[in-house]
Amino acid sequence: MTMLGKAEYGVTTFFTRSHPNDKCGANGLPLTPNSVKVLGRFQGLKHLKHPQICKYLDIVKDKHERMVIVCEHYRNCLSSKSSTFSSREKLTEIAYGVLKGLAYLNSIGITHRNLSKDNILFDAEGQVKLAEYGLYYMTGYGAEVAFPIGMPQYLAPEVLAEAPITVDEHSDVEPEVLNPSGPKVDVWSLGMILLEMMCAQDLWTGLTMPQIFHKIFAFLKTDQSPLQSIAKDNSLTETLKTLTPDVVEFLNKCLTVSVKHRPSPSELLKDDIFTELRLKEVPYRNGFQLFSTESRCKDLELPVYGENGTIMQDFDFDHLSLRNMEEVYYLWRLAGGDLEALLRKEGLVITKPPITLLPSFCTNEGDVFGQRRDRAELLDSIVITASQEQLRNRLSEVDEKAYYPLLEDEQSSMTSSLPLSPSSSDLTNTASLPLVIKEKDVEYQFHRIILYERLLKAYPYKRAHIWKEARVDIPPLVRAPVWAALLEVEGDIEGLYNSIDKDTITPTDRQIEVDIPRCHQYHELLSSPTAHVKFKRVLKAWVVSHPEYVYWQGLDSLCAPFLALNFTNEALAYACLTAFIPKYLHKIFLKDNSQVIQEYLAVFSHLIAFHDPELGNHLDGIGFIPDLYAIPWFLTMYAHVFPLHKIVHLWDTLLLGNSSFPLCIGVAILQQFRDRLLSFGFNECILLFSDMPEIDIQRCVQDSIKIFCSTPKSATYRQHARPPKKAQKEESRPNLSYYSRDYNDQPSTDLSMEPIPIEELKREKVPRISAEDLIELGELTGPAHSKSPTKRKQNSKPMLLVVDVRTDSDWLKQHHVTTCKSSYKPEWFAGVQKSW
Amino acid sequence: MANRAGAQRPNGATQGKICQFKLVLLGESAVGKSSLVLRFVKGQFHEYQESTIGAAFLTQTVCLDDTTVKFEIWDTAGQERYHSLAPMYYRGAQAAIVVYDITNQDTFGRAKTWVKELQRQASPNIVIALAGNKSDLSNKRMVEYEEAQAYAEENSLLFMETSAKTAMNVNDIFLAIAKKLPKNEGGGAAQPRQQGMKINNSETSQASEGGCCK
Ligand SMILES: Nc1nc2c(ncn2[C@@H]2O[C@H](COP(=O)(O)OP(=O)(O)O)[C@@H](O)[C@H]2O)c(=O)[nH]1
Ligand SMILES: [Mg+2]
Repeated sequence: MTMLGKAEYGVTTFFTRSHPNDKCGANGLPLTPNSVKVLGRFQGLKHLKHPQICKYLDIVKDKHERMVIVCEHYRNCLSSKSSTFSSREKLTEIAYGVLKGLAYLNSIGITHRNLSKDNILFDAEGQVKLAEYGLYYMTGYGAEVAFPIGMPQYLAPEVLAEAPITVDEHSDVEPEVLNPSGPKVDVWSLGMILLEMMCAQDLWTGLTMPQIFHKIFAFLKTDQSPLQSIAKDNSLTETLKTLTPDVVEFLNKCLTVSVKHRPSPSELLKDDIFTELRLKEVPYRNGFQLFSTESRCKDLELPVYGENGTIMQDFDFDHLSLRNMEEVYYLWRLAGGDLEALLRKEGLVITKPPITLLPSFCTNEGDVFGQRRDRAELLDSIVITASQEQLRNRLSEVDEKAYYPLLEDEQSSMTSSLPLSPSSSDLTNTASLPLVIKEKDVEYQFHRIILYERLLKAYPYKRAHIWKEARVDIPPLVRAPVWAALLEVEGDIEGLYNSIDKDTITPTDRQIEVDIPRCHQYHELLSSPTAHVKFKRVLKAWVVSHPEYVYWQGLDSLCAPFLALNFTNEALAYACLTAFIPKYLHKIFLKDNSQVIQEYLAVFSHLIAFHDPELGNHLDGIGFIPDLYAIPWFLTMYAHVFPLHKIVHLWDTLLLGNSSFPLCIGVAILQQFRDRLLSFGFNECILLFSDMPEIDIQRCVQDSIKIFCSTPKSATYRQHARPPKKAQKEESRPNLSYYSRDYNDQPSTDLSMEPIPIEELKREKVPRISAEDLIELGELTGPAHSKSPTKRKQNSKPMLLVVDVRTDSDWLKQHHVTTCKSSYKPEWFAGVQKSW
Repeated sequence: MANRAGAQRPNGATQGKICQFKLVLLGESAVGKSSLVLRFVKGQFHEYQESTIGAAFLTQTVCLDDTTVKFEIWDTAGQERYHSLAPMYYRGAQAAIVVYDITNQDTFGRAKTWVKELQRQASPNIVIALAGNKSDLSNKRMVEYEEAQAYAEENSLLFMETSAKTAMNVNDIFLAIAKKLPKNEGGGAAQPRQQGMKINNSETSQASEGGCCK
């Protein structure tokens, strides 16, 4: 976690290169827009964490391939305060900081290639913070943008020696940089920058770009040291003599023409010039991570008490600055932070009347001429700082204590633990508002995020509490870890994932490869090449590590929500998928799953008939059977039929239910279209669901919960459902509610359900229930240990009407007082399907 | 534009004979089955057409002289694994389009397997068409036109190379099938209503019973 501290949010923008209009890739599909490729690659950058680099926070794809990037930012940079940095000590310190940052980036395969005095920043404590280090990497080493990356005067000779990227508009191979710059180019740039700083003078001022390039090229041809030539060029020979020999030596190392002999950042860190700094250094530890076992109070500093026992601390403490930077950014956006408005205000986006934007000429292929895109080919090096004022105002009335909620009080319900807030009077009101509103409410999200963040730190111990909060809602910002917690993901997920062979070619690969480019591709992130690579790895990992199962089309859809949420954490995406499948799709991915599917669909038909006999009869009568429409629903847990933004809301609740819950969602969907379905014939019904119609997902969720709660548990019994979990596991878990437990996980007695053959099951129209449920629901015995979900008020009537259809003699022999007698008439019985 | 060859929305056709036929699309995944149907029914093409799980159902009506032909189209999942579901869809079908991708030889092999299976298991009078799709990608061609045509002739299949992307031959192949289907009373293949696949409802059952015309 990177704390906000005194950081600001810096906003930069650039355009990616647009493709010519009619071009297609080798597979006949249109080329992935460069902006989408950049978007995908950027995600990896968001994950980088080091004290010497600014954290990337967000990327937004705007109109016309414009990218807007949000990054941690400080106003102090090397170019702004040159004079104060001229001391040798200070400069070695800066060099050391820059090199540490570079070495970290190199360790994960990133070259800065864009180092300049404008992007070496300093935080409030004067620590070096590198910015813009991701531009070269995220643009495919510059291939996806039309502007050059890097300041000309700082470019290393070998950068210029390489062939520039040429784009042949008519070939169908995309430009690709085959030989991207390595870490040592940054060392050259650092050398040039340091030299400028030492001499307090910019080099080669007044030269044009070709002239500068000419100078740099010249180094390749002579044996003279670049340092000396540069000094001569800029009349700095005298100044150089005033520098100590070790400094000159260091500069010479940086400005070595031969790449082979020039040291890399990590080698330079060991240079003698840094000996003193190295000794003072406190080793850097990565911050807190989900599922780590490290003690988090290690660096706890106890408050200092004054003489009269009060804590010596300034009262105007900025609590927000201790929050996670991403979290504050998320709230900033909720509080009305608008990137495009910001750019417009600064004049970076200029809005013109649309009529002036019409092209003068347009070819049949759709290429347009006579209209210049604003600044389209250029990089704006301007960094706009986004003001936090609006957010701080919104949160100004929040009580200090709200930043540190207590978790101990587990008895109190979530709603009562929500603090009263002066501005929106009572947040418990907000808690009951529709999700779309809650998710936009800054204050509400603020409290929820802080609470969840604390709970997640205490996972798995606070599992039960997380579960309870998740019933209220899950803030989008923390959805990924909360889902993982609900799925009980634990342990060394990273190690496990790394140990799986995701590279060896298998026969399944072709199928996976044809499915991925068709899976949720409207989603910008998932349509990026980076996503496709990750997608394939996660799916392959699952197939390889589950030899009892096989890849079924649909598994890709199932994986998509987890990948989209955990885009920078493949291991967690995999762990969630692996935990999800046995919970809801036990045995469904068997090579021969027909028995399992048949049973599932039969139980689904029964459930429709149970909850809505009229609809059930109608659908059955016209032959609209679940086999024809519901397979993609269940096989993918609706991930194939809904867009991602709906899936996440559906799964927020699904994850709290047991393995029968998906059946209830199915009934809820049918009921949402009840009127239409009842008036439709077969063709219209099946057409309706061929393309899942627009659905009110929140209503669907509410209805499913109602349906679930009014279904006797044994009614959804499936013999192919997951067998009882091992008791040992059960003990380590909190006592989850009745709803979340599976029927099979309950102690079975001789009154429990027993499997019946599939043919028989399919012939039946309505569900069977267990004798146990019968006894309990009909209150045929005294107060039982509550097993059924149907909570109800005391002294209300039994929920069950039992009709005895046995022969008269049997009835006379023995019957229960509350049951009614019916002389058995099949046609009469067929009508009564829902018993209350 | 896609419906230029006389295809028409169902409600437009009232005079003349109305025939209803069940048609199924088979073939390896990603060859463009769903895209062909989408082009034929809605005149659209989606670059990122989602994969089909289980099957999808669509209808489209075309006019042939004085006859209105209504296609009930079952578009199936292509993956081998979903094979076990296929009989449910081709059972009782009067027509089938077996699709392969001209840029991929394996999909042609798979198409042949489907044809064999249909000849063995489907209704004896079923009209089978072979579609070599993605003809717009002819520079990546792996299956020669002549090879496929020879195979089609041998097995008396209708054959066309199609492109769902450019709409080439898409309506034509459906029309060719419509022409070949028997439209006189009793001439059509009987459409046995198997259990698990009852698709007639009370309103249209007269029309669809027997799979031919009224
Ligand atoms: N170039 C080209 N691509 C096509 C054509 N038909 C389908 N596609 C693409 O091929 C992919 C698979 O198509 P789809 O209809 O889903 O195949 P299905 O699995 O057989 O249903 C999609 O990305 C389509 O955009 C075509 O005629 N030409
Ligand atoms: Mg398909």
